[in-house]
Amino acid sequence: MWRYILRRLMWVIVVLLVITLITFVIFFVMPSVDPAVAFAGRQPTPEIVAEVKRQFGLDHPVWEQYLLFVRHLFLGDRYGWPGLGFSFASRSAIKPELFSRFLITAQLAVGAALVWLSIGIPIGVASAVRRRSLLDRAAMAFALFFVSMPVFLLGLLALWLLWFKWHLTPGTGYISVGTNFGSWLGHMILPWFVLAMLFAAFYARMTRGNLIETMAQDYIRTARVKGLPEWKVILKHGLRASLTPVVTMFGMDLGSLFGTAVVTESVFNLQGMGQWAIISVFAGDIPTVLAVVSVTAVAIALCNLIVDVLYAYLDPRVRYS
Amino acid sequence: MTQPALTEEQTEPRLQPPSGPVIAARSPWQLFRSRFMQDRIAVAGAVTIALLVVLALAAPLFKLVVHRGPNDLFGSTMLTKDLGLPKGPNGRFWFGGDTVGRDVFLRTIYGLRTSLTVAIIATGLASLIGVVLGMIAGFRGGVVDTGISRLVDIVLSLPILLFAIGISSVCSTSPNGCLHGLLQPGLSLVIGIIVLFTWPQMARIVRGQVLSLREREFVEAAYSLGARPSRIMLRELLPNVVAPIVVYTSLIIPANILFEAYLSFLGVGVPQSTPSWGRMLADASSGQLFTYAWWMLACPGAFLLVTTLSFNLVGDGLRDALSPER
Amino acid sequence: MMGNNRRKLSMVGLALVVTLLAAACSSNKNSGTTNQGGAGTAQKGGVYRTALSDFGFTGGFDPTGEYLGLAWDMFSTMARTLVSYKFVAGADGNKLNPDLATDLPTPTDNGLTYTFKLKPNLKFSPPVNRAITSKDIEYAFERINAKPLVAQYGFYYYGVIKGMDGNATAPAPISGIETPNDSTIVFHLTKPTGDFLYRLALPATAPVPQEVGKCATKAGDYGRYIISSGPYMFQGLDKLTVSSCAAIKPVAGFDPTKKMYLVRNPNWDAASDSLRHAYVDGIKIDVDSNVDDIFNKVQSGALDGSLGDQPPKTILRQYLTDQNKKKYLHVDSGDRTWYVFLNTTTPPFDDLHVRKAANYVMDKAAIAQAWGGSTSGQVATHIMPPTVLSDQLGADFDPYGSPDHTGDVAKAMAEMKQSKYDTNKDGKCDAPACRGLVMVNRNVAPWTDTEPVVVTSLAKIGIQVKPRELARGAAYQTTQTIKNQIPVGLNAGWGKDYPDAFSFAGSIFSSADLVATGNPNYAMIGTTPAQVKDFGIKVPPGWVAPTVDSDIDNCQKIPATDPTRVTCWAALDKKLMNEIVPWVPYLWANVTTLTAPSVTHYEFDQFSAEPSLVNIAVNNKEKLGS
Repeated sequence: MWRYILRRLMWVIVVLLVITLITFVIFFVMPSVDPAVAFAGRQPTPEIVAEVKRQFGLDHPVWEQYLLFVRHLFLGDRYGWPGLGFSFASRSAIKPELFSRFLITAQLAVGAALVWLSIGIPIGVASAVRRRSLLDRAAMAFALFFVSMPVFLLGLLALWLLWFKWHLTPGTGYISVGTNFGSWLGHMILPWFVLAMLFAAFYARMTRGNLIETMAQDYIRTARVKGLPEWKVILKHGLRASLTPVVTMFGMDLGSLFGTAVVTESVFNLQGMGQWAIISVFAGDIPTVLAVVSVTAVAIALCNLIVDVLYAYLDPRVRYS
Repeated sequence: MTQPALTEEQTEPRLQPPSGPVIAARSPWQLFRSRFMQDRIAVAGAVTIALLVVLALAAPLFKLVVHRGPNDLFGSTMLTKDLGLPKGPNGRFWFGGDTVGRDVFLRTIYGLRTSLTVAIIATGLASLIGVVLGMIAGFRGGVVDTGISRLVDIVLSLPILLFAIGISSVCSTSPNGCLHGLLQPGLSLVIGIIVLFTWPQMARIVRGQVLSLREREFVEAAYSLGARPSRIMLRELLPNVVAPIVVYTSLIIPANILFEAYLSFLGVGVPQSTPSWGRMLADASSGQLFTYAWWMLACPGAFLLVTTLSFNLVGDGLRDALSPER
Repeated sequence: MMGNNRRKLSMVGLALVVTLLAAACSSNKNSGTTNQGGAGTAQKGGVYRTALSDFGFTGGFDPTGEYLGLAWDMFSTMARTLVSYKFVAGADGNKLNPDLATDLPTPTDNGLTYTFKLKPNLKFSPPVNRAITSKDIEYAFERINAKPLVAQYGFYYYGVIKGMDGNATAPAPISGIETPNDSTIVFHLTKPTGDFLYRLALPATAPVPQEVGKCATKAGDYGRYIISSGPYMFQGLDKLTVSSCAAIKPVAGFDPTKKMYLVRNPNWDAASDSLRHAYVDGIKIDVDSNVDDIFNKVQSGALDGSLGDQPPKTILRQYLTDQNKKKYLHVDSGDRTWYVFLNTTTPPFDDLHVRKAANYVMDKAAIAQAWGGSTSGQVATHIMPPTVLSDQLGADFDPYGSPDHTGDVAKAMAEMKQSKYDTNKDGKCDAPACRGLVMVNRNVAPWTDTEPVVVTSLAKIGIQVKPRELARGAAYQTTQTIKNQIPVGLNAGWGKDYPDAFSFAGSIFSSADLVATGNPNYAMIGTTPAQVKDFGIKVPPGWVAPTVDSDIDNCQKIPATDPTRVTCWAALDKKLMNEIVPWVPYLWANVTTLTAPSVTHYEFDQFSAEPSLVNIAVNNKEKLGS
């Protein structure tokens, strides 16, 4: 098991290098916004552009910039380790900003994940157990509704209705846990639910489908015949087998989670990584984009690793392949 | 010395062909079809999809009837005088006008074409790539498998929205687009982006299926009969993998329609001259326009809901029909 | 029956009278006056809470370099200059007044020498806490002159002040600036520059204490710990340690991605500052990526006012129709023109007749409607807004006018017939050059709503464009890179740097304004044959650029105090519209601000064209700790 984990960790590093290389290619080799010009102000003279280029380190050939970037990333730069450079827009170090924003995005993602798992899976189980009942139909209708709703629309509608019209939730923005727990919770509830709904719906449907299939297996019939109470049959035997594809799905969803979180962060003004990355892409603040992409890639790869380890734990057959 | 076992033909005398009705075994296809047909709701979904496709194909005919197109501006009649806010439904414009005075209903119908085109082509291409790579990876194993799996890992770790914005910006600024004009800003670029980011899921699923099927007896049997790997993949594995592929595809199509909506919301979708639901939803969201012009949200929103619903119902029905409850 | 009808009629009549009275009493939205005023109602105290979607700084808020108009509004709180403005709306807000100087000097030596005396009792904020001297102002110019500090509008001073050329490797004394004693500063110019005083009102010239400034060696560094000379300073500035350069850290109250919080500067002497009332005790500017949310918060009272962002039409409508809300809607002239540029190096726009036809055919009324009707501005009939020309050239000069500004197709076609690109003389462009023209646009409202109007208008004279919608930065960079030779673009706008038309027409139509990247002269007016080679662009054979270089030089020679200077600029505007035709100007934009009832006195800073942070008053009981 340990060799497997170690090999996967090496792989995380490779993924990081490949992804940053691709980012470099997109944003440097075919730029739509030349950062030196963007941050040289209105009507810059060629001298000013050249000076800005020099200060941003953009006057080296691209391959040299990439190698420098990799070196800083692994060995640190003048701002510390990992060396994430300085932002063209704010002209200050990226690392502390990224760290605080990563925490916020993580809070959003983890909270949402907990919400959708605790909503989606029980609903899926209940629907599977009571097939074709009113509960099943209603649950599936709810699932289908949220599966067809784009996140930005849901977010804007929810914000307008629940905050502006009905004054049920506090507004946008982020209050840190340390400042005031109640306020923090209040501000996070709506973003959590908005982000979670799409996934909850999907997971409800998936759990339902998988559980129905699993419950039709022979060994379930055996368990019942042995006299086990029904809930034990469902939870201990049925659910365990049908959860493995859910785990796989979860791993794949982490990637899209960071993407959807971007939209949620923008709508609810949560100062997370995603919101920062979007602003930076449009502004041409490439070091910030690189930093966010790197951190996100590592985070996703690590999460996938954890998921795969869990999968191997749940399904012994995988361990030995 | 053992005697070869006698075949059944050799032990029993030839029988006369039976008279009366022949009870023939049904082929898997026929079984599947009858099971699917029994699921009323799934059939309803399929019928709805068929109707939508017909509507999409027939969209240009609308132009002949109402004598206006989806890009014609009616600012003088469909926008309020001073602020230029859209006016609501009336006799001619069933779902009112949009921010520039275009017919919302007509644009929704045309948007059906765009959304279906994007979803079907993008899903089709992504599925093709995903199935081929997934099968090869699962079947071959070893280095090939590792290589493809690692590629899948990388693409899944890419920050989708950032890259979509980046690629789209890049390809929009040069006059001829990217890849020597293959990726023009607009429909082809959106399809390209969707294909790029969605093929790995299909590959993973197919690979998983193939991995579990690989050890089954019928594959072993084909091997021992001397079949080439490509023949095994095509004739033995593919039919058994079709089920999850079809189901997954039917569920991914609506997801890709939504993907296009996200891209439009971020400003990297199709240009205005090509109506798309994603763009219409994004426009209805900007400036909280839906709080005033509910029709700009309701029309494309309702169509999107119905389309997604239909595809999901058909997907569920397919899954139920292909692997029935015993 | 009769009684009922009579009662009904009288009610209707009463309603009519009331409506007419209300309409008559509401102020003219385009005159630049504010709806709420009266210094008598303002009181001191409270915190002004506002938000914007993005600071958008290009220079890290370093006063030496920052070129963003919104930033200049914020600098008014902490960067006093020798001369400055009253930070009020209208023509009065565009007039120069002495700020750190005792009065506005007249230049001596044939316009080559300007001498200023500083007022007494001027002190820097904590932690520096000492008197502001002439040396501190000279140091600011040294920073402008230092290349590594990237003074983004340094061109206003290089080659104007003796000894300033922008090539210094580090801040060093400038030969053309004398400081005979702590309260006197003398500027020696290389040539008479009529608008020099305006250039001394820009934030880069604000005094910088050398003991702190020397630590800010890179462009943008100083922006995080600006030592204030004005009524406000960054929250937490007093806790800054300046004992050594290594000890200096960015101040807590300012984070360019999140917020700018300002508190009172205890060392600001109100008696020395007649321009800034500084009613509020603190200012909180937060970043909110959801623009609609900002306006929702203003409506709910969580914010006191908007800043920089324009309200969406849905909310604007409520403020326009609800009588109770109308007084919280403020519309001021933005001193800015939005236009469609026509690149004279690319066919078919190299032909003057085609450019004129484009001006005739454009449905400007529909464009204005897409922007938000009369609140958003006035339909532009020529290059510069009337306010920039001191109202000498108003909206009545409309050389390509049409009834209700909807466009005159007949005249456009007549003009097109005279063009070489209309081969069959049917009034429509039919040469291959008329098809498939890339038109750059931004991807957000109102430009996305303007786009179909422009496309349809141009199609009427046979010009087919391919619109490309890009994000803000990409859109501007694409059009501003000369090599791209983008034929037409919708996203172009220009606002004044200072209230002299030189910073408008004089800065975008001369051959000296052409730069390979970041070029504002989209129409390529004044391109010399040498420049054609340098930039590596293709031009139609025998093409000669229209030019107004000599006209600009002539106007620039006239001193700013001479009223004929404005007349000269007005004549240039006429020439540009009649003979050069670089643009189709479509809107002279307003700036719309929404405030909450907590704002007891609203003021608009005409100079930066944003709500004035130094002259606004609130009655909320908020507090902002230092």
